[in-house]
Amino acid sequence: MSYAYLFKYIIIGDTGVGKSCLLLQFTDKRFQPVHDLTIGVEFGARMITIDNKPIKLQIWDTAGQESFRSITRSYYRGAAGALLVYDITRRETFNHLASWLEDARQHANANMTIMLIGNKCDLSHRRAVSTEEGEQFAKENGLIFMECSAKTAQNVEEAFISTASTIYRKIQDGVFDVSNESYGIKVGYGGIPGPSGGRDGAAAQGGGCCS
Amino acid sequence: MHETEVNDLSDDADYAASMQQGSSSFARSDSGRRSSSGETDGAEIVYLKDNVTIHPTQFASERIRGRLKLIKQGTALFMTWIPYKGQNSNARLTEKDKNLYTIRAVPFSDIKSIRRHNPTIGWQYIIVVLTSGLAFPPLYFYNGGVREFLATVKQHSFLVRSAEDANVFVVNDFQDPLQRTLSSLELPRAVSVLNSPSTSVTSNETPASGNQEKTDGSAFDSISSGVRQNGRQRQKTNDPARDLSIQVLEKFSLVTRFARETTSQLFREAHMDGYVANERRKQDQSLVDYPQIPASNDSPKVPDEVPVVSDSLEKTSHRNENRDEEAATNVGVFELVNCKELDKLSLVWGKPRQPPLGPEEWATFLDSEGRVMDEKALKKRIFYGGVEHSLRKELWPCLLEYHAYDSTYAEREYLVSVKKLEYETLKNQWQSISPAQARKFTKFRERKGLIEKDVVRTDRSLPFYDGDDNPNVNLLHDILLTYSFYNFDLGYCQGMSDLLSPILFVMKDESESFWCFVSLMDRLGPNFNRDQNGMHSQLFALSKLVEILDSPLHNYFNQNDCLNYFFCFRWILIQFKRQVRLFLELEYEKTMRLWEVLWTHYLSEHLHLYVCVAILKRYRSKIMGEQMDFDTLLKFINELSGHIDLDAILRDAEALCLCAGENGAACIPPGTPPSLPVEEASMYPQQDDDIL
Repeated sequence: MSYAYLFKYIIIGDTGVGKSCLLLQFTDKRFQPVHDLTIGVEFGARMITIDNKPIKLQIWDTAGQESFRSITRSYYRGAAGALLVYDITRRETFNHLASWLEDARQHANANMTIMLIGNKCDLSHRRAVSTEEGEQFAKENGLIFMECSAKTAQNVEEAFISTASTIYRKIQDGVFDVSNESYGIKVGYGGIPGPSGGRDGAAAQGGGCCS
Repeated sequence: MHETEVNDLSDDADYAASMQQGSSSFARSDSGRRSSSGETDGAEIVYLKDNVTIHPTQFASERIRGRLKLIKQGTALFMTWIPYKGQNSNARLTEKDKNLYTIRAVPFSDIKSIRRHNPTIGWQYIIVVLTSGLAFPPLYFYNGGVREFLATVKQHSFLVRSAEDANVFVVNDFQDPLQRTLSSLELPRAVSVLNSPSTSVTSNETPASGNQEKTDGSAFDSISSGVRQNGRQRQKTNDPARDLSIQVLEKFSLVTRFARETTSQLFREAHMDGYVANERRKQDQSLVDYPQIPASNDSPKVPDEVPVVSDSLEKTSHRNENRDEEAATNVGVFELVNCKELDKLSLVWGKPRQPPLGPEEWATFLDSEGRVMDEKALKKRIFYGGVEHSLRKELWPCLLEYHAYDSTYAEREYLVSVKKLEYETLKNQWQSISPAQARKFTKFRERKGLIEKDVVRTDRSLPFYDGDDNPNVNLLHDILLTYSFYNFDLGYCQGMSDLLSPILFVMKDESESFWCFVSLMDRLGPNFNRDQNGMHSQLFALSKLVEILDSPLHNYFNQNDCLNYFFCFRWILIQFKRQVRLFLELEYEKTMRLWEVLWTHYLSEHLHLYVCVAILKRYRSKIMGEQMDFDTLLKFINELSGHIDLDAILRDAEALCLCAGENGAACIPPGTPPSLPVEEASMYPQQDDDIL
């Protein structure tokens, strides 16, 4: 499938915050409460369009447990975007954000776009982290912020696409040398605007919104 | 530094396997011969020599004396070497050792060549090399008689002196159909052997013989340059008959190593015996002789370049150089064996996979009180076929060494009841934690939370674990939490639930599952350590194995920054569990089959690493052809699920393990899981337990 750009994403965050579910909701538009826990890393991919350009997102979904960090760190390299996920119903997953961020800053390229996601916002009755706290953390650390629900699909599409928009804007602004793949961006040959057929193409939406 | 390894060579399980292989191939070719010739003549001893001796270790005191015989039956010639009974010169040599070295009627059709050694001081000896590529340890003629031996062989079989090395005698018995096939394959050379003794007759050992015509397209010719021009070679390797010859050649690179190492072992013995420097020099020269075999282009020059080594350090480095040189050759040969060939090859040299062990056959392994009489034979049987599902409940505890093989029914039953109580005590430790206590016990809460999250994400699509409030999911939870108390330092780590799930599925019983899991964790615990040392040492060993078994692939990984082998992480951590997925039910069955094969530790404790190599080799041309980078490779391997045939991969792994031999074992650091840790005490260093 042809694309103008390929962006590599990585999804990080504590175990059980819903990383794999977010990915599945984004790529397959479904919520699967019962699934295998992630060992190592899993993949997902989807085409989106931004500014009428087909963009392929290649998304790496990592295992969350601390023990695996020495391995998952190697997956940071060459990622253009990161979704840093916590669970709004579990305070400790929010408390660990600083350590995740430190890891990301240390092992990813400096221009990586990081989106902070407070997942499971459908469970507001069990909320343990307020939206304001999430916003505050994002602001302090220069992250984009959004609360989502992988279950209801609320804001899932937006989270992935607004991250892509930010990366796309950075490209337009000349932040990246796109010929250097270590930034997690590949220039494709396609560059043909519009949906490019298949499941992925049909799922693609106009982007550039939701910032 | 290689000393132990070399000394242990002859005690090696692979070596024992080669002996068995030798005797089993004897049975094959013998029956083949009978059916072809129709002769059933009695056997005639045509040569007999006493005090022919094997030196299994570097210690002069440890020698096994025996009787060497050549026996003629019909048109076939056999060689035997039987150690004397009841002559234990040294207590360290058991009857078992003697059996290991015994040569039981090897037909000359299975023998490739005989190398004669005539040291100026010390005994003459010969090294007999089989067509399978394996060599017997040197046979020392304490009372002389090598010349007579060779003359007798020549009288009754086809024997020709190598033009390149006057001490190498090539055996070629055209009676054997396999041999005939091989000989016809190398027809130009075979003809030259017959017509002109001045051309290379050790061609099988000297792939790079310079005078070989390029036109004959012989596999041997190409193999010699396999490293350089493997692209050109690939098209030639589709002929099954040629594959066979490649197999032989491949094995031959091993032979040279075997032979060299036995020689270097001899050198040390001479050294220890206090032989004069002159003798040492000789031994060094014979050491250097060997690399000529694979690198015959340079062979005329090599002897001139042999330095007179007087320093033992230099000798060591010298030996290492040889080793490297040989390894390179070995790799060159391996390079040719792409996945398709390997399949056929392993069919040839590996034993065919067998149906799983069933109840009736299982009963034959047990004595009247339920002890396994021959543990090794049982492991071997399971290695080649696995066990029927109904037997797993009984056999898995043995394979995991929770029950001892030599325990009786009664002992096992007793252990089960004792362990049940012990389990209840352990479980009670966390069950008795009150909500109030739990509030002040962060570690406990975190662990419990983590386990709760993971058990509902473990094999839930299997009927055994599906549905809401499935009691088996609760059992997974309880066992894992109990384990995290039993082994508090290790605690709980993701991946454990994947390992426990098939065990509970098989054992059903909670306490029994727990103790089997404990045994498995004794082996695999370091994989789940905070610093993942077990995983890192396995990934390291894997990279070393690929280096010796497929150096082009190794180089490719090196160039593409893939040497950390993280793409094999999941394979190793959960023992290929999600890798053999075809259909879900089948996946589980295959996982269990694979695990019980791995747990036998029959060929190697680390067969799983050879399974990794086998899978990588299977896809090597795709990986390299498509120029996969780290990301693409990781993605590719993750998505392999459902495309791997277990039996074929196991055969490949077996073949690779046999080929790598002790060099493969040397790639794997001591204490690498599932080997038990070197030091029990430092197994799980106290760690900060901020589980996320």
